[in-house]
Amino acid sequence: MTNSDPVLLVEGLSVRRGERLAVEQVSFQLARETDTALVGPNGAGKSSLVGAVLGLLPRAAGRVQILGHTLGPAGELPRAVRSQIAYLPQSLALQGRFPLTVSEFVGHGFDLPGLSLAWLGSRRRSEAVQHAVQRTGCHDLAEFRLSALSSGQLKRVLLAFCVVRPRQLLVLDEAQTGLDAPSSERFQELLLELCRQEGWTVLQVSHDLEMVRRSCDQVLCLNQRLRYSGAPNHVLSAARLVELYGPSVVPYRHHHAEAIAVDGIHG
Amino acid sequence: MADPSSLLVVLNQPFMQRALLGGLITGTLGGLLGSFAVLRQLSFFSDALGHSALLGISLGILLGVNPTLVLIPFAVLFALLVNQLVARSGLPADALLNIVYSTSLSLAVVTLSLVETYRGGIQQLLFGDILGISWSDLTVIAVLLLGALTYLAFSLRAQVLLTLDSDLAEAFGVGASQHRLAFIVLLALVVAVSIKAVGVLLISAFVVIPACGGRLVSRHFPQYALISACLGGGCALLGLLGSGLFNLPSGPCVVIVQFAGFLLALTISQMTNHFPATAVPAESQIPNADQDALEYH
Repeated sequence: MTNSDPVLLVEGLSVRRGERLAVEQVSFQLARETDTALVGPNGAGKSSLVGAVLGLLPRAAGRVQILGHTLGPAGELPRAVRSQIAYLPQSLALQGRFPLTVSEFVGHGFDLPGLSLAWLGSRRRSEAVQHAVQRTGCHDLAEFRLSALSSGQLKRVLLAFCVVRPRQLLVLDEAQTGLDAPSSERFQELLLELCRQEGWTVLQVSHDLEMVRRSCDQVLCLNQRLRYSGAPNHVLSAARLVELYGPSVVPYRHHHAEAIAVDGIHG
Repeated sequence: MADPSSLLVVLNQPFMQRALLGGLITGTLGGLLGSFAVLRQLSFFSDALGHSALLGISLGILLGVNPTLVLIPFAVLFALLVNQLVARSGLPADALLNIVYSTSLSLAVVTLSLVETYRGGIQQLLFGDILGISWSDLTVIAVLLLGALTYLAFSLRAQVLLTLDSDLAEAFGVGASQHRLAFIVLLALVVAVSIKAVGVLLISAFVVIPACGGRLVSRHFPQYALISACLGGGCALLGLLGSGLFNLPSGPCVVIVQFAGFLLALTISQMTNHFPATAVPAESQIPNADQDALEYH
């Protein structure tokens, strides 16, 4: 695989959820070290698309290729390729007193897929964990239970989980859900910083159109089908957003650029 | 009231030695599997399986086959059936489990009513009779403990990630459906072999109480699994000693001791929670090497 080959290639992807096609004939590709946002209204198929790309959901049609390897029908990928992929969900199912510390959790991010006793620990593993929690500002939280953390702290820990081992593709499914505006801004800045340092290629589902406009290289506008794609400043025009989201989108003028409000909450 | 010399007499009996060893191993197994089951919210599964197992036992009695031999395949079939029902019906797991276990229990009672000779033995089924444990039973549970320990140790990463988020686990290379199924089958086997010790009515306590006690006093996952297993095994041993000494039913004695262990863990956790070291620093207090660079400009 050469540097010019896409990290992720999606061709004619369709995903069925129950009776209906949630995603229909979507094609796109992610160039190395680019940040791509996937936007669209609720129910547009964004999470279904992400699920199918990662091999979590079956495909009704189409082909997905990650780092030059074709994803199998049941989401199979070689172990070496799978270990190059990181994923950040919206949240974790953490019940009270969940007996898992931040450093233990991050350590599981270091371990490779498959059966092993790697959790027993090694010097290399503990150094990698320590480095990851330092870089994400979680070092003071290392010995606390995951269930004791705030949403903002948990998102940083999830980033530490991803950065603890070198990876190439990072997929975020509305990772900033549940964060207030300053925490969301800090999370995005940290993400961008880590992307620059790690050379990650990013695909992120987002409702924050202002952030997309400011930080992303490419935007994919989805509503079952891929409606528009390209550079955010080109694609996120008021007229196209009204077409994509419906009349609830209210374009307004920011002090330096046109910005967008969806359902009354600006991005 | 029994005196200590009667305890020594009881301990010298081979059946009591087998019972204590069996209780120790099944208690350890229950605590170990329970530590994962409780976090995966499968507590009700073990309860439902325990109640449904009565049908397996009843069928064994009706057909004239050793009930223990019927119980293990029955438990595995039950686990596979529930797993398929949950996957295919789209209905909540607790509602489906309720349907399956009430039906199984009703069928079991009807079946047992047809077997005139077994009516007297129903109490052993309901509340356990570990004194009847044989060497072959012991061999089965020892092999099961070894298998469970090996599987859980080697798949700990998968088990932890699956508990946190199924999609996260799969994205990071965990075969979610295979591990989910393997764990449910393992739990079904543990419930099946533990029924002899605690009976069908109290089986879920064997799985749930030690795990909840362990959770109260643990911060790390391996520590949690270990404490739960030790609580399970230790309480079973003490409960059985009490049962033998005072000639009381084994299952309830074990569960009462488990509850005492849970109360002890609760007390310890309440005491340690008052130490300042357990308080998480607030978001704004977290020192961050990149903090300056990350602030709003």
